[in-house]
Amino acid sequence: MAKDTYLKKVLGEERFNHIKASKVLMVGAGGIGCELIKNLMLTGFGEIHIVDLDTITLSNLNRQFLFRQKDINKSKAMILVKAVEKFNYFDCKLIPHHGNIMNTELFPISWWSSFDYIYNALDNVEARTYVNSIALFLKKPLMESGTTGFQGQVLPIYPYQSECFDCIPKDTPTTYPVCTIRSTPSKPVHCITWAKEFLFMQLFDEVQILSPEKLAEQRKILESETTDKKEIDNLMNETNELNDLRKLTSSTIEEFMDNLVNKIFVKDIEKLIRIDSLWKYRKQPVPLDYATYNSELSSMVKSTSSDVLHNETKVWSILENLYVLYQASKSLIDRIQSGEKFISFDKDDDDTLNFVVSASNLRSSIFGIDVMSKFDIKQIAGNIIPAIATTNAIISGFSDLQSLNYFKSYELSNQDANTVFVSMKPNRFVARATLASPNPQCASCSLSSRGIMSLSSLDGTLQELIDNIKEFYKYEDISLILGKNKLIYDFDFEDNVDRSLNSLGFKSGETLLVQDDNDELENLELYIIIGEEFKLPELTLRAKKVFKEETDAEDDEPIEEGVVDDIIEVEPPIKKQKV
Amino acid sequence: MGTQLRLRSAKVLIINLGSVGMEIVKNLVLGGINSIDIVDDSVIKEEDYAAQFFLPNDDKFIGELKLPNIIEPIKELNNRVNINIHTDNFNQLLADKDFFKKFDLIIGTELVKQEIIELNELTRTFNIPLYVTGLHGIFGYIITDLIQHVSTVERNTINQAKTIGEELSLNKVVENYQVDKPNNKEILTIKDTYSPISSIFTSDNLPKQLSKRQLRKLSSSLPIILSLLESDRSELTTEEINLKAIQMCSNLGISPDILSKEYLQEFTNQQFTEFVPTSAILGGCLAQDVIQFLSKRESPINNTLILDGLRSEMPIYSL
Ligand SMILES: [Zn+2]
Repeated sequence: MAKDTYLKKVLGEERFNHIKASKVLMVGAGGIGCELIKNLMLTGFGEIHIVDLDTITLSNLNRQFLFRQKDINKSKAMILVKAVEKFNYFDCKLIPHHGNIMNTELFPISWWSSFDYIYNALDNVEARTYVNSIALFLKKPLMESGTTGFQGQVLPIYPYQSECFDCIPKDTPTTYPVCTIRSTPSKPVHCITWAKEFLFMQLFDEVQILSPEKLAEQRKILESETTDKKEIDNLMNETNELNDLRKLTSSTIEEFMDNLVNKIFVKDIEKLIRIDSLWKYRKQPVPLDYATYNSELSSMVKSTSSDVLHNETKVWSILENLYVLYQASKSLIDRIQSGEKFISFDKDDDDTLNFVVSASNLRSSIFGIDVMSKFDIKQIAGNIIPAIATTNAIISGFSDLQSLNYFKSYELSNQDANTVFVSMKPNRFVARATLASPNPQCASCSLSSRGIMSLSSLDGTLQELIDNIKEFYKYEDISLILGKNKLIYDFDFEDNVDRSLNSLGFKSGETLLVQDDNDELENLELYIIIGEEFKLPELTLRAKKVFKEETDAEDDEPIEEGVVDDIIEVEPPIKKQKV
Repeated sequence: MGTQLRLRSAKVLIINLGSVGMEIVKNLVLGGINSIDIVDDSVIKEEDYAAQFFLPNDDKFIGELKLPNIIEPIKELNNRVNINIHTDNFNQLLADKDFFKKFDLIIGTELVKQEIIELNELTRTFNIPLYVTGLHGIFGYIITDLIQHVSTVERNTINQAKTIGEELSLNKVVENYQVDKPNNKEILTIKDTYSPISSIFTSDNLPKQLSKRQLRKLSSSLPIILSLLESDRSELTTEEINLKAIQMCSNLGISPDILSKEYLQEFTNQQFTEFVPTSAILGGCLAQDVIQFLSKRESPINNTLILDGLRSEMPIYSL
């Protein structure tokens, strides 16, 4: 038998030839990517491009079977291609790209449009959303996949025919009772949540000033969790006081540090202790004895040679935690004072991580909870459930399998493919659901049309472009937003009309959002390229949808047509899970 | 820690290293098992290249013994795992019962019914858990005889409390149930009881665990896969498969009406072929179950899992 005998038998000769002639893209060369590339190559794909911006780290090795110790710090995409050459039995053309998939110069739309199919093997929502938007611009089939621990999902996306990535609301992170977090922590995760979601957010992140209604609402939540009025009053006071603390980010680091520590690790704890009811069955916290560390801390700060910050696996002492808190606060308030309006927690932003690690450890020590290393806290704070190699293997198999229908007829239809959830039950290993139609309220695929706009030059004025767009799509009046959120034109903001597109920031790879100011036509999102001639995409814009309040009736499962069955389904309908 | 320790001390035997076998080995080696012994006396064939990623990419190896030529890339995955290879004939090896005695768990891949039953008699004698698996293109199976097994499952509390003695599904009984209220967790101790594999081919358990509607909607892949195990792996015609499957339906007490033309045609094309995405799913699933079995966490597959690539389903039946 020939080497491809089995492939021809399984796929059929015609489909096998389609696959052999296909050029596909795999975005991500991590846990799923390592498995998926093997599957795609041995399914017979003729050309595969692999994109990843990461380099290999030690922690990748035990679940990414293509990487070795000697590959550490090298480009994932490059090493992946080298490694799989060993089993490139069908002479697949493999092209690695080391770079950020969202970089429009490295990966212009013309590059994207050369692929027959896109496989996502990504680990972050931002890149997934971006690839999804490209798939929508180009009407390319996209296979979305993801795993968390022992669970995983693949979702084939046929733009405008089936649900896109943005059609499905994303999971909100797990929450703990507010009272546990703020008054009675008993586990490291409670203190980490407090430091990250509460303290850090109040001090540095974009927080709304709480309106009286919001405050009342917060009080209600608290009242549903505890009947202890004293505790509730205490918590509400704390909120107000933290608002005051935020103002301190404009003072010097010494002032900031003294006020912060004295308030949250001393006075607030003393207040908590006074609420007797909390400590009837619990061990009382012990306020931090800040004064005893004061002189040592200041000499540590003065000496420039401390390497505490670089020791991520060591469990820091209280003094060391205070030192890290000092240094992190210093960097953070410097950043605020030099113009950053707010700073969001990001486990890869060391200033924010150091702040959360040290603050949570100090709180833990006060409550007699185990203090942890920065490395361990990073895992928890980043909400990382360890990736499991076997789940990645299973999901990569389904990612490949579910894409194969497309190569029979190249039809963008949701008839044949399924979304598959891996989640073991006694009577099944996976759950499956037919693809749903696009969510009618999805801003990405239902409430707007998309297309590529080719500009012959950037020297023309904005007014010329506005006239062209209005005439071509029969808009009465429009507003224009360039990129993510730069409003450049609407009916009472005409300052820019005589400026050149170039000076306004138009460039290849940028997007332009056109909104109908009369609310009659749907939004139009244009991907800008520079081409030979000026060309707008041929699209018939749909009327703008208006939504009333959601009703429960919409959730009713439609009844399968043509199936008459008197026996009630034993299994409950599959619940939507998120990637 | 106990979990890691049990995993790190486990000695596993794998019989036949084809496509699914390689996936299992890859996953178990990455998982950090103590040692893996592999039995395979086959030579490298051209068609192996469709789905066996450890093969050397050089035609001069075709016709040579497979195992000695793929051991290096396997060892490279994790040098802490001991890999031993045996190029003996499996059927002859079956006579040497002591060979099997030393393993904590045995995995047989791409075996025929007679081999499975002989192996299962051995594993029952020595009280060794057994997994068998194989595939036909986009279809596949995992059959388990873990004899008897107790595991604990810790999970977020679900509305309905469990009672001790309650059957979660056929042959899966709740032995203990605890609620950890403050953390919103429940801890279940589950006892699984297994049937010898020989009995699943004539089991009357299906009607006991499926509703009438589920029975009517049963995929053809279950009876076809079980009947293909009874062949000697030589290619069958559609009609031969049909006849065997009708017989299997009657053995299992289910209606032969579930056998569809489409499935018979697909199995005629795909019988005994290897296909890498299917192997990836089966190999991932089996290795995960083995790792959890050794750790006594999560209740394992009991006892017949079918991968149906046409419907994208993986039902588990207790036969
Ligand atoms: Zn959508």
